[in-house]
Amino acid sequence: MRKFLAILVCKLGHAVGSLVGKGSSLPGKYALKICPDILARVQLPSRIIAVTGSNGKTSTVEMIAAILRAGGKSVVYNEEGSNQIEGVTTAVLTHATLGGRVRADVLLIESDERYAAHSFRYFHPTEFVITNLYRDQLTRNGHPEWVYDAILPAIHPDTELLLNADDPLSSCFARGHEKVLWFGLDHCSFDTDTPTGVYHDGACCPVCKAPMEYDFVHYNHIGSYRCTRCGHHRPDTDYTVTAVDLGQGRLTIDNTVTIQLAFRSIYNVYNILAAYAVCRRVGIAADTIAGVINNYILKNGRMQRFTLGAHHGTLLTSKHENSIAYDTNLRYIRGEQSPCTVLVIVDAVSRKYFTSETSWLWDIDFDQLNCPQVQRVILAGRYCNDLAERFSFTALPAEKWSVQPDIAAAAKELAESGNEDVYVVTCFSDRDKILAHVEKEGM
Amino acid sequence: MELRLIHFYPDLMGLYGSYANVSVLKRSLEGLGNTVTVETVLPGQEADLEGADFLYMGAGTERSQLAALADFTRYGDAVRALAENGTAMLFAGTAMELLGKTITDASGKEHPGIALADFTSVQGTRRIVGDVYGKTDICPQAVVGFMNKCAVISGVTAPLLTGLELGFGNEAERGSEGFHWKNVFASELTGPILVKNPRLLDAVVSAIYQHRNTPLPQERPADPWAEAGYAITEEQLRLRCQGNQK
Repeated sequence: MRKFLAILVCKLGHAVGSLVGKGSSLPGKYALKICPDILARVQLPSRIIAVTGSNGKTSTVEMIAAILRAGGKSVVYNEEGSNQIEGVTTAVLTHATLGGRVRADVLLIESDERYAAHSFRYFHPTEFVITNLYRDQLTRNGHPEWVYDAILPAIHPDTELLLNADDPLSSCFARGHEKVLWFGLDHCSFDTDTPTGVYHDGACCPVCKAPMEYDFVHYNHIGSYRCTRCGHHRPDTDYTVTAVDLGQGRLTIDNTVTIQLAFRSIYNVYNILAAYAVCRRVGIAADTIAGVINNYILKNGRMQRFTLGAHHGTLLTSKHENSIAYDTNLRYIRGEQSPCTVLVIVDAVSRKYFTSETSWLWDIDFDQLNCPQVQRVILAGRYCNDLAERFSFTALPAEKWSVQPDIAAAAKELAESGNEDVYVVTCFSDRDKILAHVEKEGM
Repeated sequence: MELRLIHFYPDLMGLYGSYANVSVLKRSLEGLGNTVTVETVLPGQEADLEGADFLYMGAGTERSQLAALADFTRYGDAVRALAENGTAMLFAGTAMELLGKTITDASGKEHPGIALADFTSVQGTRRIVGDVYGKTDICPQAVVGFMNKCAVISGVTAPLLTGLELGFGNEAERGSEGFHWKNVFASELTGPILVKNPRLLDAVVSAIYQHRNTPLPQERPADPWAEAGYAITEEQLRLRCQGNQK
């Protein structure tokens, strides 16, 4: 009876919520109050795929869903964004019959990394993709190893893990776990010999803390690592990007599948590879996958083109508090050829909670903007002074960067002069503050 | 003057911009006309602490912290002697715990610290994260920062921050925070606290000069971005405190 009531309340709550445009977690929250173990009482699909990690969850899950559907499978997933247990419950119950049977071939879950253990207390994924673990949102996550320890209890012995071979920390989930498949990138033309960036989370082995060595590095501390003491090392991969040309926007997986990238970012490469790996694992043909993700434009895209006066602009969304997300977008700008202006905005550190924490600015490698085509950098938003202090420690000449606290004024000044390309680097919490002053374009 | 700064374990204990405390101190000292060298110490490496002007260690994960402690123990006698004779040092973030008598990890295992101070740290399974706004005896201005730890620290008789209006201190919500004795500064506040708090930076610079028996120059270069950044964060956190009291 409680089960029936919980499902009913969730469905009704979701219907009402959809009408008034409210979030996706509240109906699940009520259902859990009525029946705390509701997720154990419903009949879930035989295939449950989960995705977690610091970066790339939403994009990866969106692509997995598109591929599975193209492969003829019906998919239920928490696409409305709430990735904690309440959101998962909402997604499951709104797609269940009143008797509690979820009508889908696959339940696909984007899981918050900190709370995965809560979501998977009553059921466990058949396949669990962990994209990576980086410094991210210290204001709620503490640090990457703390998150690692929080995910660990979410991993059931029967779950098959699909892990990023190139990430020294999240690869540790394979320790003592039998069913593991690996995805990763072979040596690439853009690789470096040693880790890049301001800090070196690959300097010490995550297992024994002894020094690590690298054969090659794709970015930051992601690459082919080897501990000099305990032997922790990058394993051989089951699903591999065998060639990638970011300039041409082309990547090849397992020597056979060639995909054109709608967004030529190293992130996109990893997200595509993770989606490819799990979809191949559950039996989707390589051709089907390639058909879907070739030139795939994410609905939940982190990139937005716009015009501002005579400027062509690109908004690159970088999670605040996530230095690797920033570094990746700065690297994208550095890889472009045309003269440009870069606008960096830090106004609200988070849209979800209050904090004035700006330590993460010091983890971002802003020196990547010290290249000829970047003609000037404008720093804007409430924390523009903290940005300026950070920039005063880069090698960028002082005449190249300036401060304009007011975002609207920064946009106006830009609109009134010049026609060079503009890149805006900021977070979800601040993106609308600039988008309000520009003309959006399609991709 | 020629000044030697010693930075312990910059990679291992380098969470969230910890390095920037050294960067901003170096720039500040150079701005006063000094020649500054920064020596980094890696685990297992020999380091000569004799005659050092400043010792520094930043924040690390709990596993990194224990790896750092395993190496740092051999410097215990030397660090205590330097502290006794007034050498300036800063242990920021989880590095603070190394100065105490013991660190008890989340599994209950006790690890001896270097016992420069009498406090003990007991780590748990709850992460204590949040903005901090507090008072110190060092300067009239409030100290701002971010707490990111899992330890409760007991037995601090001389805290760096005498009371917090926002955030978790050594062992209590809005309790006192950190440790300050002679020219030893320690705080669990994570990241570049000397960047965020120009007056704390002044205090460290002053401690370095005092140890050298050299008066501070009257003319000191300003750092307007740091001052303006501090003013905004201070205001934001103060408003937050007032909001909490309503």
